[in-house]
Amino acid sequence: MKRALIVALREVRTYLQDKADLAFSLLLPIVTFALIYGAFGGSELFHGTAYIVNEDVNGTYTEKLIEQIGQEKSLDVELLSRTDAESKLGRSDLNIVLFIPAGFSDKLNTNQPAELTFLQRGNGGQEGQIVASIIRGVVSKLNQEFSVLDQTKQILTGKGIVTEQIAITTQKFLEREQEYPLIEVKEVAIGSKPNMVNQFLPGIITMYVLFAINIGTAAIVEERRRGTLERLLTTHLSPSELFFGKFMASALRGFIQTFILLALSYAVFHIFTPLSFLECLLIAFLFTMACSTIGLVIASLSRTQDAATWIGVTFTMAMTIFGGTFFTISKGSALYTLSKLSINTYANNAFKTLIAEGGHISDLGLEIGVIAGVTIVGLVISRFFFKAVSKGK
Amino acid sequence: MGEAFLAVKDIYKSFNGQKAVNGVSFTIDKGEIFGLLGPNGAGKTTVIRILSTVLAADTGDATVGGYSLRKNPAEVRDLVGVCPQDLALYEDLSALDNLIFFGQLEGLNGREAKAQAMSHLALMGLTERAKGKISKFSGGMKRRINLAIALMGNSKLLFLDEPTVGIDPQSRNNIFETIRGLRDKGMTILYTTHYMEEANRLCDRIAIMDGGKFVAMDTPQGLKRQIGDPDKVTLEDIFLKLTGRSLRD
Repeated sequence: MKRALIVALREVRTYLQDKADLAFSLLLPIVTFALIYGAFGGSELFHGTAYIVNEDVNGTYTEKLIEQIGQEKSLDVELLSRTDAESKLGRSDLNIVLFIPAGFSDKLNTNQPAELTFLQRGNGGQEGQIVASIIRGVVSKLNQEFSVLDQTKQILTGKGIVTEQIAITTQKFLEREQEYPLIEVKEVAIGSKPNMVNQFLPGIITMYVLFAINIGTAAIVEERRRGTLERLLTTHLSPSELFFGKFMASALRGFIQTFILLALSYAVFHIFTPLSFLECLLIAFLFTMACSTIGLVIASLSRTQDAATWIGVTFTMAMTIFGGTFFTISKGSALYTLSKLSINTYANNAFKTLIAEGGHISDLGLEIGVIAGVTIVGLVISRFFFKAVSKGK
Repeated sequence: MGEAFLAVKDIYKSFNGQKAVNGVSFTIDKGEIFGLLGPNGAGKTTVIRILSTVLAADTGDATVGGYSLRKNPAEVRDLVGVCPQDLALYEDLSALDNLIFFGQLEGLNGREAKAQAMSHLALMGLTERAKGKISKFSGGMKRRINLAIALMGNSKLLFLDEPTVGIDPQSRNNIFETIRGLRDKGMTILYTTHYMEEANRLCDRIAIMDGGKFVAMDTPQGLKRQIGDPDKVTLEDIFLKLTGRSLRD
């Protein structure tokens, strides 16, 4: 055990002394966090762009419609020419465009039904459907205003009230109704927030921890390449002690990066309680240990650095795909069955339970069992297959 | 004949049906420098790997200081220091840290390891560079550190596998003097080299190995005498006579 610790300390010392390697490994989680923050951190609400082709130039109602769409907090408005819009739709640069035809306002002025059209590719995509839904809401509100104004006009016309006064008063009532609606919709948040960070952070952490596979592999492959592996085994160090030392060092190195990522998420996104943060750290550490042993297994099976790299990359990709790291796998599918073979499934489930579902470590018996099992079996297998020299120790 | 510190008895080792070591037996006395010569692929490094417990012999055994390779490998490792043919150093650590690290793996505590490391660095003329990173060292300095590591711990038997490859005459001379000094203090040494002149200068006895077997074993003078006047014949003459002139891998 003492010699294993000496090996582990040497690894850590080398890691701390290599300024470039240290800076890169510490900056990597910070950069990753900045990317997550840039992608999801600015706003928890949907924000999209309403692309509009306006052929009803200077139309009163069109201007009002575009103005009201622009007042929606979740939408920006971008006006396009028809040619531009059709070209962008054709290239899939856009999925949905609102088309306002010429004479739209004239029709409304003369109490004729008017029409708006969504030009879209397929179903318009998820974001497009949300944008269309918000625009429909704006149009519906305008419809109601027209309807109220028209009916009020019809009732009051010929009763000695100036037509302009009817319009102004009706508009005032409508604005008051908007300010103090009869039916108000409130939002009450219960449990953890279903935001994008919650949805994606578990997958990102799982992927991050998975990097420990490469650290574990490199720990042995580098010794072999340097020629020190054989020399180490001419000392009192046993292969098992060597493996345990390498395992401790690579688990620690892998965990440092994950710790930085989790700590930044804790401080900035406020998605953890102190308890759930500690629970996440524990799961991350367990998963890092499992990944380190997988790295050691790969190193034991590989005779060259290239072979180790390829096995590592292929394994990581397979685990990520089968583990449904960034997408949901439907129950009953072949992929669902395969996903049970991926350690990512269990790590991702554990992080999801803690981060997105407000669960606790006591809910993660299966996940912890599988991850700990992989660690123990991995250590045994890697030791079994390891040879410092061909057909030797 | 003195007291045999290393006694090798009939060891065999094959790789995929090819015999790398084919029935080798020899002894080395305490305080003796024993040269092992042979062309590339003769089996010299395999012998060293077996004797340093990294590789298991198919059959046969050896004793080091009375301990059997098969029955007491841990005790054997305690007595053996290995200087491998290729440099086996941590380039990103200092010379001192390299020595301390291997010393601790040999069972020394931190203080003992540091004291021994400083002593070996002085022996190699590298005290001034103790804290310098290996990556900044010349080839000769690296070779000397490679040898110094083999001395860490309580080694009584050194396996030096071509320790002077690719270095300048000054570094080579330092290594020779170090090896002689170690011998004078009672260290037993198994030395492999391709440089016949080195073997002639250093070794008390020499074995010439080819095809996994010893084809000759005697003192340098005794070997030369086998084909003529020892003052006129060189070791290279006897080496080529015994191993042939055909090129090896």
